Amino acid sequence: MIADLIETIAKILFVFGINMGFFSPILGWVERKQSAVMQDRVGANRADIMGYKAIGLFHPIADAIKVMVKEDFIPDGANKIFHTLAPFISLTCSIVTFAVVPFGGQYEIFGHKVNLVIANLDVGILFVFAFASLAPYGAVLAGWSSNNNWSFLGGMRASAQMLSYEVAMGFTIIGVIMVFGSLRLTDIGMMQEDFFRWGIFLQPVGFILFLTCAIAENKRIPFDMPEAESELVAGYFTEYSGMKFVMFWMGEFLEIVTISAIVTTLFFGAWHLPFITDADLVNFFSFAGQTGSNFLAILVNVATFLMKVIFFIWLQMTIRWTLPRFRYDQVMKLGWKMILPISLINIFITAVIILV
Amino acid sequence: MSETTKDLYTENMIINMGPSHPVTHGTVKFLVTLDGEKIVDMKVDIGYLHRGFEKMCENSTWEQVMPFTDRLNYVSPLINNVGYALAVEKLIGIDVPERCKYIRVIACELSRIADHLTNIAASAMEMGAMTAFLYFVEAREFIWDLIESFCGARVTTNYVRIGGLKNDLPDGFKEKTLHALAEVRKFWDDVNKLLTKNRIFIDRVRNTGTMPPEEAISYGFTGPCLRASGVPYDVRKAHPYLIYDQLNFDIPVGEQGDNFDRYLVRMEEIIQSTRIVEQALEQIPKGPINICSPEYRWQPKEAVYDKIESLIFHFKTVVEGIKPPNGEIYFPIEAANGELGFYLVSNGGGKPYKCRVRPPCFPLTAAMPRMVKGGFIADIIPTFDLINMIGGECDR
Amino acid sequence: MLNGTLTPKKVRPNIDLSLWEKLYIFEVVRGLYITSRHFVIHLFGFIFPPAGKKRSIPTVYYPEEKVTLPEAYRGRPLLVMKEDKTEKCVACGLCEKICPGKAIAISPREKENGDRFPFKFVIDMSRCIFCGFCEEVCPKEAIVMSKEYESLATYNRENMIYNKEMLLRPEKELKARIDYVRRIYSKCNQ
Repeated sequence: MIADLIETIAKILFVFGINMGFFSPILGWVERKQSAVMQDRVGANRADIMGYKAIGLFHPIADAIKVMVKEDFIPDGANKIFHTLAPFISLTCSIVTFAVVPFGGQYEIFGHKVNLVIANLDVGILFVFAFASLAPYGAVLAGWSSNNNWSFLGGMRASAQMLSYEVAMGFTIIGVIMVFGSLRLTDIGMMQEDFFRWGIFLQPVGFILFLTCAIAENKRIPFDMPEAESELVAGYFTEYSGMKFVMFWMGEFLEIVTISAIVTTLFFGAWHLPFITDADLVNFFSFAGQTGSNFLAILVNVATFLMKVIFFIWLQMTIRWTLPRFRYDQVMKLGWKMILPISLINIFITAVIILV
Repeated sequence: MSETTKDLYTENMIINMGPSHPVTHGTVKFLVTLDGEKIVDMKVDIGYLHRGFEKMCENSTWEQVMPFTDRLNYVSPLINNVGYALAVEKLIGIDVPERCKYIRVIACELSRIADHLTNIAASAMEMGAMTAFLYFVEAREFIWDLIESFCGARVTTNYVRIGGLKNDLPDGFKEKTLHALAEVRKFWDDVNKLLTKNRIFIDRVRNTGTMPPEEAISYGFTGPCLRASGVPYDVRKAHPYLIYDQLNFDIPVGEQGDNFDRYLVRMEEIIQSTRIVEQALEQIPKGPINICSPEYRWQPKEAVYDKIESLIFHFKTVVEGIKPPNGEIYFPIEAANGELGFYLVSNGGGKPYKCRVRPPCFPLTAAMPRMVKGGFIADIIPTFDLINMIGGECDR
Repeated sequence: MLNGTLTPKKVRPNIDLSLWEKLYIFEVVRGLYITSRHFVIHLFGFIFPPAGKKRSIPTVYYPEEKVTLPEAYRGRPLLVMKEDKTEKCVACGLCEKICPGKAIAISPREKENGDRFPFKFVIDMSRCIFCGFCEEVCPKEAIVMSKEYESLATYNRENMIYNKEMLLRPEKELKARIDYVRRIYSKCNQ
């Protein structure tokens, strides 16, 4: 009982720490630096502590101090409650999803079975969708409550776009669920132990569609209709400043991590290295004793998982800085007329293959 | 409005787009009436960058106007310089030496490349393709370095003088230029691959902001926007000035007059301009760059330093200004945006009696409501960017 | 040679996209390839810089590194100081007259031996447009455009008004520019 509690708290602390403490500040830096190097620039490198610049790594700290001391502005005529609530919804939805994402297999430490996932729900993937479909509330409420025409347009766009892509995203995942026969993300991860049973080989079309829908859900270029800074100034968060503004951004960055984690889990073998099973890992580290070998295997698992996540973060950032943005009606057309039919066909073909 | 929403009470949304809005660079205001996302009506409000250029000219000598022309189209200032100088020279009735003409053509075409690079870059950026923007800005940097090497400034050039030029090209200019143009082509290739065939970009620009040729002419379109509509009118070919009739280059024309055509015409003109620069560098003769007539071009320094007569004359021309004969003149040249015309009236004095500019982007801006009405609010962005409205030139 | 004849070049060869291009994915991948190529080149450019450079990215780290300015560069105008610590300027007022921004203000005085000198020579840097006309018309090589472009920013408009003492520089420092001016305004003027 106590052990379970400690285990859960340790896992929550780990996931929360790695998200809030590592990914969300570092992604701001990564986005700046990566886009800069892609675009033949240098990027932010001026914040220094005692003359040390550390390739701009102090910028997240400077940003944090800046936003904390900034005025938190609520426009005249805005609905104060919803205006304050909206960023919290956005941020919460993107953090909570992490509860069901497994970052390692099942191991024994000190005779205690450890499952490297916070909540091993049997409806894991549905949990992800449930919270993903709450996310539009953040954008819509922000847009509606700001008492600003641009925000309002942004909120409208956000609701339409995110609801449409919700549907398409659901359908793209069904193929994966059919192949693996489970909704539990841990099970899906387990089943990809064999390199040739990775989701990308079983569902290549599903992967492309899912990544597209996920980026659209996250409202980033090329799908950043709700923000579209050249059309709608800043879209639904035009009227936000200070910490609340940053919460939207943190929500967005954490969603990048979430998308990468889910893509990794569903399509890229979760925590597995190619051709190496968990049992192999434990055997390989057998020199360290029973607990030690399990512990080392966990470390390798987590590292592998993080490497894959980081790769997908890189990919999403590259996409964001390469492509121009769609037009609102084209986004809708793409969602309803291309991705939805293709995902249905994908489901059909998958079903036929499974039957045969 | 569709059948289902006929009985519902709806109301159009009126939005002020600008003057401080990310897309209205060059400070312009659009008063947009929206039905959902559709544009029902649009009013254009210009004049936020009015600095009284024409009135300033009336209070300055003919030479002093030259730095003011830099500030008209601040993306391609050299073309404005050349246009003004040519207009005054035509008013006086003088002809500049051959080498001067070549250098002016090189300067014009370098500026045109810089202008088109900036324009396409800015449009791409506003459609979200930030990387294409920075690639072209980096390419423009090469051009601006060249311009700096002979003008002494990157944007506020003040290079051309009435009856000549400020100074000659520096040593090794040809090699530097060829190298810079090669670099520009490299970036051009990259951006061409990033945008021209990318369906997201094509969907944004194709069939938006369409302008049929007859209407384009009746609105007074010139330059790349008119050529995009399919009318092959280019001042460089229709009324050749300087040495454009001795150079070999094509006039790109589009077919439908939509934003995609405007983009393609501009992309092609970059290549044609590099061709022109290369030819001009090949053919450029040696010789003087200024006319030898002290009443219109300030005298060389030795004469001023050594001879009292020259010194007195120098004082007289500088203080009173050169004195073109009575008369009026209109001289158009092909600026990066279209026909840039200077209409000058002289009363025989040292200052222009009237200096009117025909800005190429004024008719284009005036046609904005016609081009975007019925489209989406997102169509304003490529349309407004690709007509390339420059506040300094439009509002003066 | 084409003496003015018009050869329109159609720039829109195909209106319809092929199926290959209609599926977004391949063009997206090509775009990703281009940007990733820049990314990789410049990332390794930090570690293995090209010959003669510190990095493959063309950015100049401004306060630490500075660009090499071309010979023609026009910085802020300066007055030339003779060896005897007095200015070369004779207060003829030509620069004041030609200045398009009307930034220069001169108050002439006469010395005991009858030579004119500027008792006050003020350039309002907030009005100066760096056009270089003052340098071009000066009959005494007394005012030149320097290569100085720093320390012009200030919090106070009064600080933008530069008086004679702030503008004077020894002739030796400005030698290169004076030679350049003498060259460009004489060479092909005839």
